[in-house]
Parts: sequence; C-alpha cells; structure tokens
Amino acid sequence: MTEATGTSQIQSRNTRVGLIAAAIGLAMLALGYAAVPLYEIFCRVTGYGGTTQVANAAQAETVQVASSTMSVRFDSNVSSALPWDFEPETVTDKVSIGARDMAIFIAKNRSDKPITGTATFNVTPVSAGKYFNKVQCFCFTEQTLQPGQMARMPVLYYVDPAILEDPDTQDIKEITLSYTFYPVDPDKKGS
Amino acid sequence: MTFMNMVKSLSVAALLAMTPHAAIAQEAATTDVQAEAQATTADNAAAATEAATETSESGAVGSYVPMKPTEGKGMPVDGGIDFQDQYSKIGQQAYAMHNYILMPIIVVISLFVLGLLLWVMARYRAKANPEASKTTHNTFIEVVWTLVPVLILIGIAIPSISLLAKQFEPAPEDALTIKVTGYQWYWGYTYPDNGGFEVISNMLPAEEARARGETPQLAVDNRMVVPAGVPIKVIVTAADVIHSFAVPSLWYKMDAIPGRLNEKVMQIDEPGVYYGQCSELCGARHGFMPIAVEALPMDEYNAWVQAQGGNIKGEGEDEAEASEAIEDETADAETANASGEENTENAEAGSEAAAAPAN
Amino acid sequence: MTTIAATPDEVHADAEEHHDHVPPFFQRWFMSTNHKDIGTLYLIFAVVAGIIGGAISGLMRMELAEPGIQYLQGWASMMQGSAATEDQGLHLWNVLITAHGLIMVFFMVMPAMIGGFGNWFVPIMIGAPDMAFPRMNNISFWLLIPAFILLLGSTFVPGGTGLGAGTGWTVYAPLSTTGSQGPAVDMAILSLHLAGASSILGAINFITTIFNMRAPGMTINKMPLFVWSVLVTAFLLLLALPVLAAAITMLLTDRNFQTAFFDAAGGGDPVLYQHLFWFFGHPEVYIMILPGFGMVSHIIATFSKKPVFGYLGMAYAMVAIGVVGFIVWAHHMFTVGLSVNLKMYFTAATMVIAVPTGIKIFSWIATMWGGSLSFKTPMMWAIGFIFMFTVGGVTGVVLANGGIDDAMHDTYYVVAHFHYVLSLGAVFSMFAGFYYWFPKMSGRMYNELLGHVHFWIFFIGVNVLFFPMHFLGVQGMPRRYADYPEQFAYWNEIASYGYAIMGIGMLVFFANIGYSLFAGRRAEGNYWGEGATTLEWTLSSPPPFHQFETLPQIK
Repeated sequence: MTEATGTSQIQSRNTRVGLIAAAIGLAMLALGYAAVPLYEIFCRVTGYGGTTQVANAAQAETVQVASSTMSVRFDSNVSSALPWDFEPETVTDKVSIGARDMAIFIAKNRSDKPITGTATFNVTPVSAGKYFNKVQCFCFTEQTLQPGQMARMPVLYYVDPAILEDPDTQDIKEITLSYTFYPVDPDKKGS
Repeated sequence: MTFMNMVKSLSVAALLAMTPHAAIAQEAATTDVQAEAQATTADNAAAATEAATETSESGAVGSYVPMKPTEGKGMPVDGGIDFQDQYSKIGQQAYAMHNYILMPIIVVISLFVLGLLLWVMARYRAKANPEASKTTHNTFIEVVWTLVPVLILIGIAIPSISLLAKQFEPAPEDALTIKVTGYQWYWGYTYPDNGGFEVISNMLPAEEARARGETPQLAVDNRMVVPAGVPIKVIVTAADVIHSFAVPSLWYKMDAIPGRLNEKVMQIDEPGVYYGQCSELCGARHGFMPIAVEALPMDEYNAWVQAQGGNIKGEGEDEAEASEAIEDETADAETANASGEENTENAEAGSEAAAAPAN
Repeated sequence: MTTIAATPDEVHADAEEHHDHVPPFFQRWFMSTNHKDIGTLYLIFAVVAGIIGGAISGLMRMELAEPGIQYLQGWASMMQGSAATEDQGLHLWNVLITAHGLIMVFFMVMPAMIGGFGNWFVPIMIGAPDMAFPRMNNISFWLLIPAFILLLGSTFVPGGTGLGAGTGWTVYAPLSTTGSQGPAVDMAILSLHLAGASSILGAINFITTIFNMRAPGMTINKMPLFVWSVLVTAFLLLLALPVLAAAITMLLTDRNFQTAFFDAAGGGDPVLYQHLFWFFGHPEVYIMILPGFGMVSHIIATFSKKPVFGYLGMAYAMVAIGVVGFIVWAHHMFTVGLSVNLKMYFTAATMVIAVPTGIKIFSWIATMWGGSLSFKTPMMWAIGFIFMFTVGGVTGVVLANGGIDDAMHDTYYVVAHFHYVLSLGAVFSMFAGFYYWFPKMSGRMYNELLGHVHFWIFFIGVNVLFFPMHFLGVQGMPRRYADYPEQFAYWNEIASYGYAIMGIGMLVFFANIGYSLFAGRRAEGNYWGEGATTLEWTLSSPPPFHQFETLPQIK
C-alpha cells in the first residue's frame, strides 16, 4: 500500500464513518420530535399520567356491569386567562363499575365577548387512567360560549370492570376526574 | 401582602359568584383574611381572633385560633443533621428505612473504601514496596466485587419497593379530599367536600411571623387546616407554572403541574403545625411561598370549616346518594340539557342550586 | 495493556523535521486544524469559563452565608443600572443558579474533558497524526465562543421578572415558556443549541477518529482506557444531545411561534419536556464523569507502576454505565406523579448502575494493590477522586429509592450528591489529568509542592463546602432558594466558609500554573518513568507539532 492511496482510503473511510455517525445524530433528533406523538400514543394506550380512554357507544354496550361501585369525584379548573366559571354539578358521584353514567359540568362566560375554550383532563390515581372510558365528552371538541351564556357540559363515561382485576388498581375507591379549561388561542397549533 | 390577599380572595369570590353557597364561604374567608390582616398589627394571636369575631358575618369564626407551633416539631431544627421528626406512618417507615438500612450501608461502604485506600497507600507506598507486582487479573475477586454489590442492592431494593407500594396505597372510600393549587407565588387550598371554599395562603413578612411566634420564611397568613389522624386525599395542581407541594416532616412531596391533577394520600398522626416549602423552581419568589399544614382533631377541624362558611363533609349528601339509582337508570337518556330530576335533586342537595335556572 | 514498538528516539527524530511547519500566530490559534492546539484552546476556554462559573457560585455562597437577602437587590441594581425591586433581586438569584449550572456543565467540564484532554490525547494515545476531521474540530471549538457570549449576554436582557434567564439549567416548561417573557431565555436556548452542535460535531469526530485512525496493532481491546472513555462519551453525546436539541427547539417554538408542545393550554404536556430533558440529562452526567474515569485509570496505573487491573472489565463497565444511563432518566422526576410501577422500575434500574461503578472503584484499588506507589500531585487528586466519588455514588444509591426520594427530591441533599460526583468527582479527575499532562502539554514541570498544597486546601474546602449540604437536605432545605429559615443558618455559614477555603486553593492553582509556565523545570519525554506506558510518553514534551508521520507499531 503506497502512502497516497493509503491516505485517500483513510479519508473515504473517515467520511463514511463520519456520515454514519451524523446519521445517528439526525435519527436521534428525529426521535426527539417523534417523542411528541409517540408520547401521546403511549399515554393513550397505557393511561400514563392518568390519561383517560375513549370508547364508542357500541363498545360501551358490551361492558358487563359489575356488582361493586366506584366513587367518582369531579374537579374543575379554569385558566386565569379565561373569564369563565366552570364547576361540576356534583362534587362526587357513585357509579356501578361498568355502567355508563353522565356527569354535568356547568360553564359560564362571564365576559361580554364570545370565547372559545378547550379543556385538558386527567384522572387520579394516575393508574386508573386506562380503565376510565369516556364515550362522549365536551373535552373532545372546542366549546364556544356567547357573552353571559351558561352551558351544561356533559361527560358520558364508564369505569372498565377490568379495574377490579388489576392488582395496582383494585384497591382504588375513588377516581378523580379533573378538567382544566383554557382559552383557545387561534394562533396556537396543538402539538 | 395584605392587599394582595384581599384582591385574590375577592377575585376568587367573584369567580364562584354563580354558586351562592361557595360565594358565602368565600366572603367569609375574605372577611377572615381582612380581619387577620388587621390583627397582624396587634401583638398577639388572641387579638386576631377577637377582631375576626367582631367583623365576621357568620359569627362562628371565634372558635378557631391559629395553633402555636411546637419548637422542633414539623419544622427544621437549628443546625440539624438528621431528618425532621416524622409525623406520618409513611414518614416513619421511610425514615426507618433510610436511617437503619441505607445509612449504615452507605457509611460502611464509604469507610470500607476509605480504609482500603489508606491501607493500600500505607502498605504499598514506594518505600515499603519498591517492586510493583504485575498482577492484572483475579477472576475470583472480580466476581466477588460484582456479586456482593448486586446482593447489597437487592437487599436495598426489596424494602424500597415495599415502601413504594405502601406510599401508593389509595385513599379509603370516605377520605376527605383537599385540593392544593400552586400559584406564582402562593398556595390555594380548596375544600371540595366542605362546600368548595378556597383558602389563600401567603408568606408572612418576617416581623409578623416573629410577632406570632413563628419562623420567618415558614410562617403563612392562612394555613392549610386538615384533620389529624385520618387519611386525607390531597389533590395537587397548579395555575401557572410547576410548583411542588412539600412537607418534610410528613415525608410528603408532590409536584403541582398546570393542566394536570396529581393525588397523594396524607395522614398526620397527631395535631400540630407542619411546615414545608415550595420545591420546584417557579420564578422569582420560589423561596417565598411556604406551606403550613395545621392538623386539628376532627371536631376542631369541623368547627374551623364552619367558621370558614363551609359545611361538614357528609352532611346533606344522603339525599344525593338516595337518588343515585334513578340517575343511573336514566343515564342513557341524558343529554346536555336534559334531566330535570337531576336539577331538582341537586337543588335539594344544596349545592349549585343557582346554576340550573340560569340555563 | 499495550506495548509500543516505536522507541522515543525514533519519534523524536521524526519530530525534528516538522518543527519548522508551525504556522504563524493568527493561523495557528484562530484557524487551527491541529488537535493539540485546539485542545489547548479548549482548556484555556474551560479555565476562563470555570473562573466565571466559580465566581458566580462565590456570589451565591455570599448571599447564602446568612439568612435574609443581603446583596441580591444591590447586584441587580448594578446590572440594570437602576434601582432594582425586591423581586428583581430574587430573579437575579435564579439567573445566578441557571448561569452557574449551564456554565459549569456546558462550558467548563465538557470543554475541558472532551475538548481539552480528549483532543490532546486521544489521537496521540491511538497513534494517529491528528483527528479524523481537523477542520470540523476547529468549528467545534469556535462554536463555543458565540454560545458562551449568548449565555453571558442573556443575563443583561429582560427575562421575565428581571434581567436574565432564571429558569434553572433544566429550563423546565412552562416557567421557561409562558413564565419568562423577554429574550433572555431565547438567548440561553440558542446558546445551548450552539454548544450542543459543537459537542455533536466533536462526538462525530472522536467516533471516526477512534474507529478509523488507530495505529497498526492498536485493536479496540488494546486501546488505552482514556480512549475507551472518550469513545463511550462520544456515543452518549451523539445519542443524547440531539434529543436535547429537539426539546429546546420545541421550547423555542412554544415561546415564539405559537406551538404548544409543552403548553397544557394547547393540548401539550409540560411533563413531556421533563422526559425529553432527562433522557438527555442523565447520560449528560455520565458524559461529564466518564472521561474522568479514563484519566484516573491511567494516573492510578502510572503511579502504582502497574498496569490497570481488570482492563476489559474497566472498559466494559464504562460501556455498561453508558447503556444503562439511557434507561434511568425518570429518577429525576420521581415527584411528577409517576405511577407506582414506573417508580419501582426506575428505582431498580437506577440501582443497577451502582454495579459497574463499583467494579471501577474496586479495580482502581486493586490496581494500587501490590503496586509501588508514589504520591505525586496527580496521584493525590486521583485517590481523592476515588474516595469522593464513592461518597457521591452512595448518596446516589439513597436517592435512587423512589420512596426515600420523596423527602430528598429538590433539596440540598441532591445538591450535595451531584456536587460530590461532579465538583469532587469530575473536577478532581480534571485536576488529576491536568497535573498529569501539564508538563506534556507545556513542556515544563509544575511545582510539586504547590500542587500538593492546592490539593489539600481544595480537598478540605470542597468538603467543608458540600458535606453540610447533606444535613441541610435531610432537614428539608429546598434547593434554588435565595433565603431560608434561620434553622438552616448554621450549616449554610459553614458551607460558605468552605467556599472561601476552596477559593484559596484555586489561587494556589493559578499561582502554580503561572510559575510553571515561565519558570518550571523543562520536562523530558516520559517524566513519570516506567509506570507511564501509553503512546504520549514516547513523544517529547511538548510533542512535536505533527506527530506520528510514520505510524507506530503496537505489538
């Protein structure tokens, strides 16, 4: 191997390894961004962080109603940037596990302008997230209230009876469902 | 500070204005705050109570006097080198695990390494050992120093895991729920089971804290009052940035995250005042939003709740539960603006009565 | 470990003919493509950044020396040129802790360890003439300058309550997004971007160099442990930093372009930022310590006149630490509301790291065992490192317990822990490496007496400074506090004295450097004698501008 070919060989090998390394770096960068949708999926699938599940009416039909009951507590928060009142109609409710139930939240626009809001939510204990199913919820869409308008916002939900079989959740006696209403900023794109 | 309190309380009151019940509670709380603000200029806590009684509309405030903290209980001690004394079962278990398992292990390991180093330094210094050996392998010893740490760690992991399981035991069915909200830079304590009033808690200026016989940087104007001896379900959230609700003497720390609720059971063995401080960087006054939890016997707690204009948990709830069956049956038929019975039922139950007619 | 065929004389002969190729001053230092010169630039940069970061911690210890706010408002007034409010003074506190953290991590430890010692000695140790991409190497260094200027500049522009970015080095959302108006946080984020880009380019360069440029016979399993440590570190950088880049870019768009990745109001989740940050942040702490592991291995071996004990175990322990380091991140987030299963998993996984770390500690002691030890300054620092790192390590095992962490999370116990592994671990290893190689790099011996004096004063100082923080932590004192209840006054005062002692130690250090650079005895090629076996000892001190034009043969 002559000196000249040796050097150029090393250079091309260097370029190759360097590019592979750079590709790994770029892949990690992409993974960093992919983490956003992946995290969302992960939360939805595993109920991580108390993320609730979404079920359709047909699925809800098939659920066996268990003999035991669960207390469900409703918690509401409003962003200070949103001039709304927002309160659950009842603080707690007792439901049969597996049975559909409806909770009503009452929202009122205190301002003199129509305002659109959207609600984030989770349940605690966080491990109950994967067993808390919403069939219908005001939080699925944005809500607009006219000046001074009051609206009753329903959540149709049920607690999956599988919660009784999971050793991490079978001792749970009360699930708290929490909503926080934020104003919808028309400029903001959701992640 | 005083002005901020008033503004805050009033704005919260306005926020809840559509629900007369809560509003009354809030008004009472506001009055209380005002009264206390006046009283803080006075020399002692007794004067505070008097003033509060005089200006209070509900007239029931007089029964509550902020408890005098016990030196060294629920607060750090001068130059202390150990954990604060623990006043919860969880805290005692964790404390025991730290002081009787972890501490001895890490001290022994550190001293063992130090001893080995010193011995090697003395025994194999160039003067004592001019010829270095060339040993670079000893499979037996390598296996030993891999396996022994593994065994030690397993020994730590087992009690650690069971401690975790204990800490995550959910609250019993009838547990009182108290909601903690972190704001920049104060705490709000809401009592949903007692009528939903919110107590706003600001740090006291140093002179006022001393005047009340409390430690500056820990003392607050309105404490988080809780019943002692029963499990309390504390739910934690934040209004602006992340805060962390922490009370060292209860082994309690839970982050307050905006847009999300966290839950952790708190059970305090005995009455007392337990101080804590915000434990997640939240801006300029991060170090100036302390937490003071005052645990009272249940009857005194109930008296306090009534003094705040709240109602005692469990009272007035029976009717709501009785009509539960009807509600379940009609669940399918319910729509957004349906269910007349429900409205009536709620009106009877005495909560949110004003909400329905306005619809 | 390795045996070198090329004798020092041969290399010297090789070196002579190239001495005249040294470029003129401007080209040499500002357009450098020489790994040794770039390494020197990195070291100078790290020293400057270290002085600034250390001075900031001095301000912090001054303020914390007694309860109450004594200086902050005055300092804030000085910075903004007008009377500062109390809140602006308190904001300055947050700016100080943020700047101290970022400077020490990104502009002191990383440039010194990887940029400085890595650049200087990785090519030499593997018998390569230079790094694989010399010009990229230059870019890596010069990216740090604007990064540092951006960070320092950010403290003079509005950042919310006052001037500067007061978010903590973790830059948690939403404090760093909706909670901090003004350009300061944007500047700090851009600074991290540049520093991150610099490190990623450096990592690519090191990986390529180590894979491709090894001298004939220098197989992977014969590489010196410092090279191993830099290789593992480079991979950690390459895998972790892009995730940080993604996370802080999302912060930037959340702040300026109406996205809502971490904003609950738009459907985002602030906890996701913490996951992303710590997915980077935990490997980052190994990035800061692994090169130190490598240096300490060489130093212990050299001054024991023995090869490193359990070479392969040492190398693979570092690989194991690097790999496991990626799956333990949420132990930094034990109080965000994880479920019990996750907490149990992260507790167990974190503890696993203690095993390879233990292997390293015991292997170092075994290297000394049976050796013929001489206690030169680098050896003192290395032995000090082993003990202090052990202390920092065992408190890490305590913190790893999710159930115990509830009381310690975000308290001074954590501050004590990571300063024991970094200020007493990484920094001790850096001083060890510095004294070990200073004559090699400069051509002049340092003063042994001053070196020992520096060690002992610094050792006492940092222990007085950081050990009381354990007590403050278990007593419940939260970190990032400008003021505290008077019960914490005693140990805070002691800690501030510790800082003063440490500061005196640093004065001795700078005196030593100054003295040695101008008046130090000339160093020979292998001034440590038979214990020093890696390739840098076959070269003159300082090494020729171009080394290994004829590659050395490794048997």
